[in-house]
Amino acid sequence: MYLWKAWHDSRTRVVLYILAALSVGVLFGLDLVSWANWHAYLMTHRRLSPRYNYNFYIDVTFSTLDWLVLDYGQMAVLLAGLSLGAASTGREYGAGTMDFVLTRPGPRRNFVLTDWTVGLTTMVIMVSGLAFGALPFLCLIHAKGPGNVLAGLPGLWVLGAAIYGLSHFTTLVAGSAPKGLILSMATVLTYFFLPTALREWWHADALLRATQWTLRIFDHGSWPLSPFDWSVFAFWLATAAGFLGASVAWIRFREV
Amino acid sequence: MNDLAIHTQGLAKFFGKTRAVDGLDLNVPRGSVYGFLGRNGAGKTTTVKTLLGLLRPTAGSAQVLGYDIRRHLLAILERTGFVPENKTLFGSLTPAQLVRFNQGYFPKWSGELVGRYAELFEIPMHVPFAKLSLGNKTKVCHLLALCQGADLLILDEPSIGLDPVITDLLLRVLVEDQVSEGRTVFLSSHQLAEVERIADWVGIIEKGKIVLETRLEDIRQNYRLIRAAAQTAPAVSSPHLVAAQSSGNFWSYLVARDAEDFAAMLRAKGMTILEILPVSLGEVFLGLTRKEMPCISGKPGTIPAPA
Repeated sequence: MYLWKAWHDSRTRVVLYILAALSVGVLFGLDLVSWANWHAYLMTHRRLSPRYNYNFYIDVTFSTLDWLVLDYGQMAVLLAGLSLGAASTGREYGAGTMDFVLTRPGPRRNFVLTDWTVGLTTMVIMVSGLAFGALPFLCLIHAKGPGNVLAGLPGLWVLGAAIYGLSHFTTLVAGSAPKGLILSMATVLTYFFLPTALREWWHADALLRATQWTLRIFDHGSWPLSPFDWSVFAFWLATAAGFLGASVAWIRFREV
Repeated sequence: MNDLAIHTQGLAKFFGKTRAVDGLDLNVPRGSVYGFLGRNGAGKTTTVKTLLGLLRPTAGSAQVLGYDIRRHLLAILERTGFVPENKTLFGSLTPAQLVRFNQGYFPKWSGELVGRYAELFEIPMHVPFAKLSLGNKTKVCHLLALCQGADLLILDEPSIGLDPVITDLLLRVLVEDQVSEGRTVFLSSHQLAEVERIADWVGIIEKGKIVLETRLEDIRQNYRLIRAAAQTAPAVSSPHLVAAQSSGNFWSYLVARDAEDFAAMLRAKGMTILEILPVSLGEVFLGLTRKEMPCISGKPGTIPAPA
């Protein structure tokens, strides 16, 4: 029943996210095509060697991965994870409906699990939509197909799950969507900027090295020549699971 | 199965140094309409929330429908209909959708009752909850609680926003449809007239403690207000003395029973008895909870001589 309610509340948002992701993917693809055409023009009019042609395709593939996964994908996952997590059960406190929700006879953990089911499904579809929006254009400019662009998606999914988990948990703790969103954004900003600040101010770079390691899964500059980094993937998966566990524990003991 | 729908012993809930509920002993018989009365901040809503697992008790024990609130909360929630104080449900859903949401949780849900009560209470079933008036929101909360086939209804301020006609209908439904089927109704309210109209039992809570728990019929038959006059009031003591109040040379004594014996004692101590009157629930409530010389010890009986 709560699943039905969660879907009812989020269906418009889900459709909008998917449309937005597809649109961004298409825009990205169009951008890529015009870029490719420019290179084709250069090759034709400046009589560049076949080796340049080969390098061009390699460049396109890697740049595609870089742009799509690093720039578009991470930003999309960040925004979607934060907003989807804030639109979860925790906001019922602020809306004054938590005593109604928690007096429905069902294990409290089910409310969290339902949130995660709907939230992560939305996330996966949205991120995939981003890639699939760009896919036809990649096929268009690349004679051998789109390359391994889809292989970058699991990294985004698992990062998205962790960010969603963070936002879900902070919303549950804060008892309101805006406060939860602010808390989770502050956490993300701290995660990215504190290590740099520590290095700049106190020349302590251990934390920076650690955070850089956690983002290595998105370092596709040399990929697919380098293997997929399962240890970092496992780190984000464990982080997501940790937030899920924290949310389940919190809702179990939280008073209204 | 014991014969109490709600039973608490020394139930306490503290928020830091604030003792919202402070050693509450409550005995709500099955099949009764129990009026749970108290002033603002007396601990009514905290008690209700504790009984339903929304708050964890600091101390004491409580059973609802024979189930311990700490160990069998789901069993309690399956059998208990609850109308919360704030009357807030999901704003984006219409009453019809809220019915759809709610019915999946309750195996004894009655679709037939939904239609009947929706018509009786004139509920607009296809308007989003957020757009309903306070009265209609209250009606929807009642609709959901009444149709789930609960053994116990816990209604926190049930008539907020309702017009007199719907309030009358609601009270009739509670007695004719619910209590007649053996269900228990626990009314937490400020509305003494409503409670007096349908309740069998009343419990009055003050500063987190029960100061009176009795049958309403007992109040009607045995409780009396004795008005007396004297230059100086003597110290009086009786196990049946509930409250006393002075105004100049005039004294009012609220006694739970044996009013004639108490009046005789006052006469023997030199007081002039002016009248002995039956009392309403409101007078008992005021006698126990008003600020002037309240008797809030939980053990009514002794009133000191005035200075």
